Amino acid sequence: MTEPPVIAITGTSRGIGLGMARHFVGLEYRVAGCSRGPTIFTAAHYLHSEVDVTDEKQVRGWIRTIKNHYDHIDIFVCNSAIVPAASLLTATSFDIADSTFRTNVMGAYLTCREAAKVMMLQRSGRIITLSSMAVGLHELGTSVYAASKSAVVEMTKILAKELAPLGITCNVIAPSVFKTSAVENLGEAVVKHALESLTIKREVTIEEICNVVNFFAAPESSSITGQVLYMGLVN
Amino acid sequence: MISEEDALQLIVDSIASLQRAGLIEANLMITCDTVLLGSGSRLDSIAFVTFVTDLEERLNRMTGQELYLVLTDIHEFNAETAYLSATMLARFIAHLTQSRTASS
Repeated sequence: MTEPPVIAITGTSRGIGLGMARHFVGLEYRVAGCSRGPTIFTAAHYLHSEVDVTDEKQVRGWIRTIKNHYDHIDIFVCNSAIVPAASLLTATSFDIADSTFRTNVMGAYLTCREAAKVMMLQRSGRIITLSSMAVGLHELGTSVYAASKSAVVEMTKILAKELAPLGITCNVIAPSVFKTSAVENLGEAVVKHALESLTIKREVTIEEICNVVNFFAAPESSSITGQVLYMGLVN
Repeated sequence: MISEEDALQLIVDSIASLQRAGLIEANLMITCDTVLLGSGSRLDSIAFVTFVTDLEERLNRMTGQELYLVLTDIHEFNAETAYLSATMLARFIAHLTQSRTASS
């Protein structure tokens, strides 16, 4: 019997990451998750680690823990991110911009780098990063966040080219509004305006997001790489 | 702690195993002077990263320690040369495990 896939997801203590962890545990995948703090979620095939994704040593240790525990990684989902409160660029503090870029860009770089190294030895794997509708909407007050998520898109596309000869695909999901405490940080007005700007003017569900992960992860998607799938938005 | 000779053997084993698995295509016979990185290396960048990742795993299995082969550290250790030979890498590994043993 084929063993269930191993999926590693960052940022699983809440929001989309927690929803994904629950979803894939439900599908009997072997799931490894991480977050800065502890999680409320426990399951037989769920391995949680407390990891700061901006800390190189911790990230390397986490990926090694997964490798030691499960022997390989089939799917890696880079989900953890900071969503700062909406603020005009001219009013955004250096600290906010710095922490947003550290988590959203450097965190993605570190986690994708280490997961990719495991997949390079396997000569297979799926890397899926999360961007945002913010990249396509250009809403006022989202310059720092949208720029960080735009960087994730560019990084993923180039990584896709680098890893394509090794049988590893890299793709991006850009969900529309999925109400989490992080997104609520943007402020009600920004979220309302974002919803109005969307082509499909409603929030997406975790099942819809996981459906896209499943699509990118499917064996039949082995020729799909470097793509950005916007949800709810024509871009 | 790993000696320079053991580290060199680890490098030889890693390359041979990756070649057998088809993960490194270059037909490479490792000697002390074989250039692994830089001018004259027959490993491309993907092959080199694959090799270093495999070597790290072997090193960790052998020592039971969390050891990482960081390129900038290796470069600083061999700052006077523009390439990395098997001996130079073996010397770095021996140094790394030695300093880790001393600090623990």
